[in-house]
Amino acid sequence: MLSDFKSQLREISQAIVPIILVILIIHTFFIPDFSISNAVLFIIGSIMVIVGIALFLVGVNIGLIPIGNAIGSDIPRSGSIPLIIMTAFLFGFLATVAEPDVRVLSDMIQTISENSIERLHLIMVISVGVGFFVAVAILRIIYNVSLAYLYTGGYLLVLMFLFVAPPDYVPIAFDAGGVTTGPITVPFILSLGIGVTSILGGRSAISDGFGLIGLASIGPILGVLLMGIVAS
Amino acid sequence: MIYLPIADNIDHVIVDVIQALSPLVLFFLIMQVLSLKLPKNYVINLFKGLLITLIGMVLFFQGIKIAFLPAGQRIGEFCGSIEATWILIPFGFLLGFLTTYAEPAVRVLCYQVETSSNGYIKGSLILYALSFGVAISVSLGMIRILYGFPFLPIIICGYLLVLILLRMTDSDFIGIAFDSGGVATGPMAVTFLMAFAVGVADSIGGRDPFLDGFGMISFIALTPILMLLIVGIIFKRKKKEMYHDS
Repeated sequence: MLSDFKSQLREISQAIVPIILVILIIHTFFIPDFSISNAVLFIIGSIMVIVGIALFLVGVNIGLIPIGNAIGSDIPRSGSIPLIIMTAFLFGFLATVAEPDVRVLSDMIQTISENSIERLHLIMVISVGVGFFVAVAILRIIYNVSLAYLYTGGYLLVLMFLFVAPPDYVPIAFDAGGVTTGPITVPFILSLGIGVTSILGGRSAISDGFGLIGLASIGPILGVLLMGIVAS
Repeated sequence: MIYLPIADNIDHVIVDVIQALSPLVLFFLIMQVLSLKLPKNYVINLFKGLLITLIGMVLFFQGIKIAFLPAGQRIGEFCGSIEATWILIPFGFLLGFLTTYAEPAVRVLCYQVETSSNGYIKGSLILYALSFGVAISVSLGMIRILYGFPFLPIIICGYLLVLILLRMTDSDFIGIAFDSGGVATGPMAVTFLMAFAVGVADSIGGRDPFLDGFGMISFIALTPILMLLIVGIIFKRKKKEMYHDS
């Protein structure tokens, strides 16, 4: 665990140090009121980010991913399709209700829209959207439907909705689709997909296990656009 | 001694992270009792992992809040005040590239792609393709703030292009491509790049800072999909050539 932490720390530092340096250089040369206390605060914050990500990844490897894999490979064993769908829906729904990114976005949208779009409504619409599409994605793996068909269908539906939905809702909808897939949902949903594919014979982990997150992003886009159509 | 607000509002962050993780933990515990029935020691190890995740997330979010969020806003405000505004376009490209390169969720995806393809698809390839994709998006977002082109036609054309490329690409890449679209809009992109865009829009004036910021995230979700579908097309060509050679 400690060696894992060290190697993560080294890798994350390599990843983040470039942007930290660029930000510091820009600040020292161009920002007039950049004080030493600001610089110290920025450096401390950056160290917190680096250590935080390293800890997060170590924790994900020994916590969230095994949990996702365990549940993912357990679901198909029951053999009951309704049960599988229900669990998959819950999986997506709960992970999204919990996602901090979704909370941040919903907060911002509630403020900017001057409370005409309510935070809790938005979180629920987004989460139901994700849950629904995670269930669809699991069904796709079981019945071996091509991902290309699902994406084509999903995005054609999105394009159709775009013409009917009020324009204010459009950027929000796409953002909701992107934001849903934050630091919790990504490892969790990815490992669900890989777990399900590993237990079903004759599936390739690479072309079947992936794609869940992409499908999960369609749900909130459709959900928020629908919300806009209903509201107008 | 100067006062540094390092731990300001950290209690909110802790509560938020606990709220974020607890429904999942509850769900796992229910599954554990009903059907998983994993050995006790194994479960204890999983909880150690969850605790480490929790501490990591708190540090990460707090660090973002005190360091990257204000920095993005300051840089954005400064850039908006320069005479030669076109400089924002290459500048946005650079920031977009570096932010994605640093995004933790992107690293998770690259790692999982490499291991589950047994090294056949390199994680670093995905990382660079994604970073370029996001870099292009941020440039686009800057162009939009500067010259104000409409948002909807670009998005519609973008997704139509996705549907076309979908027919031509290697099937292994379809899932990865769409996943990466979601992954690219992680916490680094949303906080730092949005703060940057809002800062720029604010100081240029006559723009709706929030709508412009929101629009940019939508581009960030789109371009990585396109990039990886194109990588998939190149891979497919290479595979064909290999068959012809042998």
